[in-house]
Amino acid sequence: MYTKYLVSSSPHIASKKTTKNIMIDVVISLIPCMIASILIYGFNPLFNIILATVGSTAGESIYSLMRKRRNTIEDWSAIVTGVILGLNLPPAIPFYMPVIGGIFATLIVKMLFGGIGRNFANPAITARIFLLLAWGASMTAYVAPIDLSKGFSEMFKYVGLSSSEIADLTSATPLSYLKDGNYGAVSNLDLFLGRIGGSAGEVCAIAVLIGFVYLYVRRIIDAKIPVIFVATAAICALAFYGDVNMILPTVLSGGLLFGAVFMATDYATSPNTPWGVVIYAVGCGFLTVLFRKFGRMPEGVSFAILIMNIVTPLLDKYIYPRPFGYKRPKKVKPAKEECAK
Amino acid sequence: MNLTFRNGAHPPAKKELTENIPLKEMPTPDEVAISLSQHIGAPAQPVVQVGDEVKAGTLIGRAAGFVSSNIYSSVSGTVKGFKTLPTANGGKAQHVVIENDGLYRTQTLPLVNPTKENIVARVQEAGIVGMGGATFPTHVKLSPSKPVDTLIINAAECEPYITCDYRLLIEETTVFIKGVEFLMKALGVKKAYIGIEKNKPEAIRRLISYCPFNIVVKPLKVKYPQGAEKQLIYAITKRKVPAGGLPMDVGCVVDNVHTAYSIAQAVLYGEPCYRRAMTISGRGIHNPGNYWVRNGVSFRYLLDQVKGGEPYPVIQKVISGGPMMGFAQVDLDPCTTKGSSSLLFMVPEDIEIRTESPCINCARCAMACPMMLMPMFIEKAVLENDAKAAKDRGALNCIECGCCAYECPAKRPLVQAMRMAKRIIKEKGV
Repeated sequence: MYTKYLVSSSPHIASKKTTKNIMIDVVISLIPCMIASILIYGFNPLFNIILATVGSTAGESIYSLMRKRRNTIEDWSAIVTGVILGLNLPPAIPFYMPVIGGIFATLIVKMLFGGIGRNFANPAITARIFLLLAWGASMTAYVAPIDLSKGFSEMFKYVGLSSSEIADLTSATPLSYLKDGNYGAVSNLDLFLGRIGGSAGEVCAIAVLIGFVYLYVRRIIDAKIPVIFVATAAICALAFYGDVNMILPTVLSGGLLFGAVFMATDYATSPNTPWGVVIYAVGCGFLTVLFRKFGRMPEGVSFAILIMNIVTPLLDKYIYPRPFGYKRPKKVKPAKEECAK
Repeated sequence: MNLTFRNGAHPPAKKELTENIPLKEMPTPDEVAISLSQHIGAPAQPVVQVGDEVKAGTLIGRAAGFVSSNIYSSVSGTVKGFKTLPTANGGKAQHVVIENDGLYRTQTLPLVNPTKENIVARVQEAGIVGMGGATFPTHVKLSPSKPVDTLIINAAECEPYITCDYRLLIEETTVFIKGVEFLMKALGVKKAYIGIEKNKPEAIRRLISYCPFNIVVKPLKVKYPQGAEKQLIYAITKRKVPAGGLPMDVGCVVDNVHTAYSIAQAVLYGEPCYRRAMTISGRGIHNPGNYWVRNGVSFRYLLDQVKGGEPYPVIQKVISGGPMMGFAQVDLDPCTTKGSSSLLFMVPEDIEIRTESPCINCARCAMACPMMLMPMFIEKAVLENDAKAAKDRGALNCIECGCCAYECPAKRPLVQAMRMAKRIIKEKGV
């Protein structure tokens, strides 16, 4: 039947937010971290970010071409993955690693599991762990910050160096001191401003906080996950090390803030329920400090988030809010399950 | 203090198009088609023959059972015949076609002493239904099987665009309050609340100055769906209607502003329910406004009356009801009924043409759902045709307010999924 009017199910209006502009907002929130990383380590992090983004968009495009599907890079989610991965890498690493990491993140972790929203774990974190396991030496070669007072040429300090040259310039990160509870080695101010060795985008706490405020104000993320994550980590630091002075270094060092704000809050891999989120964030914080204190490696954020990512479907399955006005039916025997059915 | 419920959405109100335009009488065409199924429940049985002379207010359809409602002619003239026509909510119903003689001779019900029993009887006799759009016969609500201690008048009008209740509150304040008092008398309650969103300050001011001490005006936070029955009861009394229950389970009865007004008209003047205030709005027409519209006027005639001069904007969608819960019209054949609170002519820029993309699991739908459901999981269950999972996730509690689909950044048709869920649960009988 011919009709000149559009007919569809209600509602007939919708909010202006789309997947694409959420993703663009996330990229905008990462800009302070990008700027900070360039100011701290020269141009190397910028190349890493670009290469990782090229890799992640390529990975998604390859999959779409192979499966003859519509290319989905236009929703910007591959770019978000690429930028986060680039910021997660040590500043000076061989150029092919970010590319391979990017391709791994989108092609293997995201697209093979069904694309956006279906990935079981955060692509950037999984790619980082993959690179860490594949090229352990390069991925832990953390160079010291550049000294911009020596002139602009410092920006190129680490550009084009070979792996062996980089290896000579690396220094231990604050995390390796912290593992033994040695908090005095680095000042908290240096940790806050990022004048330390570490992964390019993670070191500058203030840049991460600016990004967090942006995401929160634009209502892209709920403050619950980052705040509970960091608070749990702080409490666990106090409990595991028994020293109040360990709290600030634990929170400010490594990828904890960056992970809490940009990676643990990934929509697809974090729970969707009010209480599921709490358990998830507490788990992230607890495991992070556990791995840092007792694990083989100095850093534990990525592994903690990865493990909680895998727990997420379970949390979503068993912990969800009761419908408005729901009353639990009275049972003859006391119920064992805690979940609302 | 902000009285409200949890979650919800904030669609742009768009009430500025019509909120300051006083109610006007809408002309009536030469022929009206009055539906015999203007309410929830059994369609009314026709009691007139072809060729009968009727007046405005003559009974033409008698209620078929308790949950049903009388239908009255809205004009004076001659009955021309019976026709099956499409209705505004997508179904089909038998209509009585009446030729309008243009004299508008009226017939009223005999006046009665407003005692408790007489009011309930009059509400039933006058064919008054929930005029907010749900069209549930009001006399059924006035005969609760459980003790009721509170009457709540729903003046929230939370749907965007609609302003007819607001105009009614301002222009007919005293009649409306009389209606509230009749309702209280019929229910035997001592206290009534009027729940009204804070974006209607003029109406709030008038109500506060006119209401007697036992009718309390409760300004509510501006949030959609503030006017949904369970959410309104919760916002005002903090009582939670049990899942699958009715307001009377928590001792409340909720009625709409226009219902109260119509009751006052029926009791005070013996005028049965055959016309109503209606908002005709949207940017697709040049003369949006609030109108008194008689039952049985076709939407095509209404458009001719309000479209104004050239240039005509492109009308992409016609919605009967609000943009969040209303029905998109296939064409303009349906006619106005007791439940037609608004008719919207929407231009392409004002509506959403949904191009869905995969769910990104952002949980915005869950954070918007006033019933605390998780629409994304119900949708997944529906796509997998898993009725049990959909039921376990509480799909039957959905009130189809549209908050989830409104908020969804992937533009997924979540409300449709909810309706589908209810259907497969019913079909599979889990």
